[in-house]
Amino acid sequence: MALHDAAIVGYAETKIVEKSDRDVWELGAEILETLLGKTKFEKGEIDGLILSASMTGAGNCFWSQTTADQLALEVDFCQTVDIGGCSPLGTIARAAAAIDAGLCSIVMCLFADTQAAENNQRMRAFHNEWTVPLGYIGPPAAFGLLSRRYEHQFGLDYAALGKLAVAQRGHAVLNELAVEKLRKPITVDDYLNSRMIADPIRLLDSVMVCDGASGVLVTSRKTAEKKGLSKIVVPIGYGERTNYRAGEAIVDVTESGHYVAGQRAFAQSGLEPKDIASFHPYDDFIIAIMMQLEMLGFCKRGQGCGFVNEHSFTYSGDLPLNTGGGQISAGQCGLAGGGTNVVEAVRQLFGEGGKRQMKDTRNALVTGIGGIPYGRNWSSSVVMILTPNA
Amino acid sequence: MMTRLNDTLSVTREPPTPRTFSKAYWDATREKRLLVQYDKRSGKYQFFPRATSIYNGHRDLEWREVSGKGEIFSYTIARRARPPFQGHEPFLIGLVTLDEGVNVMANIVHCGLEKIRIGLRVKPFWLPLANGAHLLMFEPD
Repeated sequence: MALHDAAIVGYAETKIVEKSDRDVWELGAEILETLLGKTKFEKGEIDGLILSASMTGAGNCFWSQTTADQLALEVDFCQTVDIGGCSPLGTIARAAAAIDAGLCSIVMCLFADTQAAENNQRMRAFHNEWTVPLGYIGPPAAFGLLSRRYEHQFGLDYAALGKLAVAQRGHAVLNELAVEKLRKPITVDDYLNSRMIADPIRLLDSVMVCDGASGVLVTSRKTAEKKGLSKIVVPIGYGERTNYRAGEAIVDVTESGHYVAGQRAFAQSGLEPKDIASFHPYDDFIIAIMMQLEMLGFCKRGQGCGFVNEHSFTYSGDLPLNTGGGQISAGQCGLAGGGTNVVEAVRQLFGEGGKRQMKDTRNALVTGIGGIPYGRNWSSSVVMILTPNA
Repeated sequence: MMTRLNDTLSVTREPPTPRTFSKAYWDATREKRLLVQYDKRSGKYQFFPRATSIYNGHRDLEWREVSGKGEIFSYTIARRARPPFQGHEPFLIGLVTLDEGVNVMANIVHCGLEKIRIGLRVKPFWLPLANGAHLLMFEPD
């Protein structure tokens, strides 16, 4: 058995809202009910629960156990994955591994966070000593430093970044689950003229913290087949790297762990960048999309903006990009936000994209970015390649 | 259009609570001395202070006093900030490569927008904190 013997048999997603008036477990219950309805599994058949990290859950170090209790799930495998925005994709990889090891057979991967309404996080890291005294506001400042350095090394075509922002926004307009505030088209000029936050990071480079939940049900292909579930999505490649170049005092911030995670995922899948039909990268800031194109080998380093200018990223384009709007235009559901893009990829491969359905559903490449370290770019990088019923 | 940058010297910072392995750093700042961890096995420096060598996992670390001179690796102009920095924008946050080969994040002060650039040589500027320690900042050398 291997990664590609696992199957995603169902997906679910709530409406993304600016601030939830529903409890995080009410969102979790909606995901559970939707997954059961779509797959015809009974609640009692679910024997694994893997949660992504959650700012709302951050005050409770029994988070997965407590959530299993609240949803009345009796399981043989229960855990939370805490690699930041990489956590949702990380749950799918761990579900596949746990199923492969015989620990459980039907796993609910749940991504639920109400960070805007209820943030219980208390960060024990480097911040108190080394960044709070500088007036450093976290991710936007980190990406400001990163962008300026990228510009110094390679030059930076801001209009090309704007093109990515515009494509994603167009998808959010077509996505009824995207946060309403952002469902208005923008132009490249809107992007370029949006106010600076951490110069050169602009408002329209950035995510807006929102609330919402999503999830998938993972089992083995064999179990899916027995259940008569023909519509499945299979992970055929996965790579994960935390703390890229940990043993170096000065790292090139224009390079990320996606370089190695991508190589592993591509090697497992037998695919190359030119074979990828759609691209669903983690998008906390627009420049991260462009950098991932470089790291994954869609183009050479330093040539990301050139690549952007030569391709079309709308759902009908030659490389559809985050067809639900991405987190930047659909809203970032706290640490569950990494689920938004993976669920959209599964939806598209199921052929359920509605008004924004892509034509080419041979495969989809999804990524994660998790955590912002001191003076580097990001802490964790994950890459997963999905294909329908391979 | 020239943008004037603020030095945020009037912003009151809460003195950080050191960890067991960073206390020596903060103690030395009382005398405006900059200590950086040095790993004797690999012959290399590291920053921020850690409980282990980032190079080999051993703990043969010592503190070495350095000049604090270096150059700008990157910088961002903070145009939005949270309290107590709110209202003091725009100000500079830089990543500085010390001559010893480590990157340090700090405010860059006494430096206008026309002067700041990657590669600019800088030296330490120490901001007093309420507990007698100092916060490391940098200014053009």
